[in-house]
Amino acid sequence: MNYDSPIGSKIKLINLCMYMEDNTESDEEWNYDFLNELVDDVEENRNLIQCISCGKCVGECPATKISDFNIRKIIRKILRGDKSVISNSDIWYCFLCERCKRVCPKEGINIPLLIINLRNESFKKGFGPKYNDLRKYVEMAGRFLTNGTVLEDPLDGSLSQERVDELNEICNFARIKYVFKASNASKDNKKKKKLKKKN
Amino acid sequence: MEINNLYLDLEEIKQRYPENPLEYFKGKKLCLFKACLEKYFPGVRFGIYDLLEELGLEVDVCQHQSCCSGTFFQRNLITRAQFAAINERNVSELNHQADIVLFSCNGCYNSVLRGRDFLKSLDVRRKAEEILTRVKENSSGDNYPGKYEILPELNLRLVHDLDFLYLIRNDVLNSLKFDLKGLNVAIHYGCHYLNLSRDKSNIDGYLKDKTKLEDFVELFGGNPVDYQERESCCGWGASQLVIHPKEALKVTYKKLKSAENVNADFLLMPCPTCLYTLSKPEYREKINKYYGEQLDIPTIHLNELIAILRGCEEERCITLRRMDKRIMEIYKTITQL
Repeated sequence: MNYDSPIGSKIKLINLCMYMEDNTESDEEWNYDFLNELVDDVEENRNLIQCISCGKCVGECPATKISDFNIRKIIRKILRGDKSVISNSDIWYCFLCERCKRVCPKEGINIPLLIINLRNESFKKGFGPKYNDLRKYVEMAGRFLTNGTVLEDPLDGSLSQERVDELNEICNFARIKYVFKASNASKDNKKKKKLKKKN
Repeated sequence: MEINNLYLDLEEIKQRYPENPLEYFKGKKLCLFKACLEKYFPGVRFGIYDLLEELGLEVDVCQHQSCCSGTFFQRNLITRAQFAAINERNVSELNHQADIVLFSCNGCYNSVLRGRDFLKSLDVRRKAEEILTRVKENSSGDNYPGKYEILPELNLRLVHDLDFLYLIRNDVLNSLKFDLKGLNVAIHYGCHYLNLSRDKSNIDGYLKDKTKLEDFVELFGGNPVDYQERESCCGWGASQLVIHPKEALKVTYKKLKSAENVNADFLLMPCPTCLYTLSKPEYREKINKYYGEQLDIPTIHLNELIAILRGCEEERCITLRRMDKRIMEIYKTITQL
């Protein structure tokens, strides 16, 4: 890159601004309280401390190309105890494609698992996707807990009731059960409305 | 006891059977993992099932296997321990029935390996064991030893269809009636195949370009064409297409457009989830609505393509409901003598 050309000098200035933005915090601002909370849930998150902020994960990320999702920034925030990442909608744009995990030069950093952990925290605090966003999942959860697959009339037929009961037992107290109940409630409401109309 | 990895060691098979790797599989019980989306693309299942039967291998599906549940884990609807427990239930059913399980779907393959990986965390393993004990207490019906236990050392081995087919490619080639007649083929591997390797100490396995599909296209008499978005996601993105459709379809659009730009006759892939995303007419219409371009490039799964090349009946390779004009043209081009 010729930094003396008009475009080159602009790029140089942008690079400098980005460098300054990224390096305004001193070592004293590290705060691992939030990280420790995440490690309590998913011990593999301990490895986040190895992050060298190289940005390879961002350069290869499909979500970064279509949204403000920036995993490098998210990790920096976590390592400074900034919990705003949980309420920010960016984490819901991750594709969980695992590209970042592949290109990360460090051994044990598992970004997709971190994102799932952050989304879990987000759900718990009430920042998760709205019911409408999960509508498709409501249907899929219903099918999984009644026939063992996510589609109606699966290619090989449904699982036997005994096996379906096993899946229901495994999923006890999981969010999928509440979503399933919501799907039943919504079906009941539709039936009631139809009946009302008929009458 | 440590949880063992369930990868089928392809290198070992190559060393033991350098002349004919198919020999390794003879007399072994093979099982096809049932991917939910095969319902829309039955040729993905039939394509490999028919081939394996013709090659004289013992093949079946497991009636007691459920959906891999990866989609629910990725959407935070089940915990890691629940995901691992569902996975172990499936693994124990498959282990009861088979020696080797083959996967037509990147997502299912990744899920089963990941569920097993999660058990390496003592916390997840303890919770999954508690869940399975509860299931055992409430269960009735057919039981067998080890059904509700986490078995650390399993003989069961897992392999992706693409890796398996590549290993026995000479036998695959010998079974073909037709060739690709020089058609231009753009390759899509899918994220969960490209980014699957978990062993960073093996630099080759981790970073080396994956070229098995390109090799297949050449062997089949086609012309693999390179394109800018070769390694990009199909756009499904763990259900981004459901939650952020406009943004996710931009990824799909760029992929399809990039393949059309290099005059590819069709896109070839090893995953029914990618196939669903890249071929669904509703998504193509939305792409037209959002980005003003009607993209018609056809998409085909490797198993379907092999079935076409083997001269299987139409409904055993590409179902009629997918038979649009461009797919029909490809089908006719390939199958004319």
